[in-house]
Amino acid sequence: MTVRIAWRSLWRHRRRTLITIASIGLGLGLVILFVSLAEGTYTRLVEDAVRMQAGHVTVEHADYRDAPEVHLRIAGVGAMRAAIEALPEVESTKLLVLGQGLVRSSAGAVGVAVMGVEPEVEVTTSPLARRLVAGRYLDAGDVPRVVVGRVLAERLGLAPGRKLVLATNDASGAMVEALFRVEGVFETGAEEVDGYLLQAPIAPVRRLYGLGADEATALGVVLRDPDTLERAVRDVRRIVTTPSAAVRPWQEVLPEVAAFIRLDRTSDGTYQGILLFLVLCTIFNTILMSVLERTREFAVLLAIGTAPGQLAGQLVLESAFLGLLGCGAGLLLGGGLAWLVQVYGIDLTRFYEHGMTISGFALSTRLHARPTLRILATLAGLVFSATILVSLWPARRATQVDLAEVLR
Amino acid sequence: MDAIVRMTGVTKVYGEGDAATHALRGVDLVLARGDFAAMAGPSGSGKSTLLNLIGALDHPTAGTVEVDGRDLATLTGSQLSRLRRDRIGFVFQSFNLVPVLTAFENAEYVLVLQGVPARERRQRVRAMLADVGLGGLEHRFPRELSGGQQQRVAIARAIVAEPALVLADEPTANVDSATGAALLELMHGLHESKRTTFLFSTHDRAVMERAERLIRLHDGRVVADGPPQDVLDGS
Repeated sequence: MTVRIAWRSLWRHRRRTLITIASIGLGLGLVILFVSLAEGTYTRLVEDAVRMQAGHVTVEHADYRDAPEVHLRIAGVGAMRAAIEALPEVESTKLLVLGQGLVRSSAGAVGVAVMGVEPEVEVTTSPLARRLVAGRYLDAGDVPRVVVGRVLAERLGLAPGRKLVLATNDASGAMVEALFRVEGVFETGAEEVDGYLLQAPIAPVRRLYGLGADEATALGVVLRDPDTLERAVRDVRRIVTTPSAAVRPWQEVLPEVAAFIRLDRTSDGTYQGILLFLVLCTIFNTILMSVLERTREFAVLLAIGTAPGQLAGQLVLESAFLGLLGCGAGLLLGGGLAWLVQVYGIDLTRFYEHGMTISGFALSTRLHARPTLRILATLAGLVFSATILVSLWPARRATQVDLAEVLR
Repeated sequence: MDAIVRMTGVTKVYGEGDAATHALRGVDLVLARGDFAAMAGPSGSGKSTLLNLIGALDHPTAGTVEVDGRDLATLTGSQLSRLRRDRIGFVFQSFNLVPVLTAFENAEYVLVLQGVPARERRQRVRAMLADVGLGGLEHRFPRELSGGQQQRVAIARAIVAEPALVLADEPTANVDSATGAALLELMHGLHESKRTTFLFSTHDRAVMERAERLIRLHDGRVVADGPPQDVLDGS
């Protein structure tokens, strides 16, 4: 009977109820869309960054973060890699030799970041290998070839087939240099990358820096599912027991990206919180009006023996129905829009002609949402719980009517 | 005498200081089981206040009210709710049906609160609605019923749980005289058949004459109490 009264009472003022459901649906739908869009952007940013750099999990020398120098390398990477690749959450691993140097060409000299990579791995994992604007990406093997960023190529007058000299200090501190030929030119859209980065096969880079065949600056671990990060870090730490080696999640290796995401989440959360607050005000207003205009009815129900708790329960149930219908509408609207944006994306090229970069990483100007089940369930659960919460005070108020006064 | 209601020295004051209004002044009243009594008196004489106190809808400022042998002042809120649910039926002047429930569901409501099994509920409500002349109208909502029909539903709701006491506040005030007479006969018939105690507050002379006992109130005091003809002749 309580359920029947609650459900039918909801439809006494059909228009008001529908407006409230639409408000909840619209508010929740927009928040779902915004959060999914942000999540899609973060995921893409992190995936691109970690795949281009040292993976979701990085094994490196324990002191490397404090002073990133080429002599701070890890040894025994072959055995370590084999054990890590056997973990179920691991998609692939990549070895990197990272250093700095000076590139000279006939047009001048520029300081660069040197990345010795395994081309056969990079081709499948790194977005950089797919962003060539001239020439082609590196082949596997011990050949002195490089790919350089477009800005760097322009500064030094480089193009596929042209030669350059890379001068640097090796792991022992001695001055060394080597001749490389340009294989390709890439463009990520981030000037920090396109004007500064040079990639070459790992073997000649190891030789240049004086590293052994079983040594590297970093062993990057790329995961099948980024959500398994915590477990992967634990598993890799069990494998890497060398005291001089550290196992770090990407947030420690790319702190500026992690900080950007934290900051962006906080500001987005504030706006979304304000939007939800306004929606909750509408719900509260509807419930309160519904209670105030039915004071006499509540007094009668209490007079004929309805327990106050039962009456409050009936009103909370009305709100629950309102919340369920509103959340259902919101899930349909927000989930549907987010799915469309996931599939088709939103093209922001018009607004960002020169591309978007975040913390030195290029971001695609076509944004894609990522409406996960967790986002949908969390937001709908939050709105539903808040709907119940805002109904508690009006429900309590309804049970505290002065029976004699109201029934007079 | 087997008393269903016993009021001793009951006073009810609304407001404080200069604004204080004495609705009842030291009322002593006993209602016997099976009484079919009416309360009369001018507006402001204390009729509604008295009904509210007996119905556990309000508390006296002084004095004691006992219903069915229990001092209401000693009962908790939930005990008072149960007392109203199980022992007292209410009929209000303006019907006060739940608008989103049908006639059947309105009458059924108290039985649901009491936890009566569904099959028994259906039987009792059908029989009761037939008794009050609403057979065939069970599935109509209050807005689809006339004033008289709504008051019949209200009477069915008050009676169906077979309470010891029915309190009816001006039950014929909002219906025409023919309907009022029919409702009165209906309640008298229920009183006769189930020996239910009725206490009306009324301005309606027909109700006063039909009652078996008439209590006259004036300025918060019982000024006459006896057979209707005697009280009416005395006034």
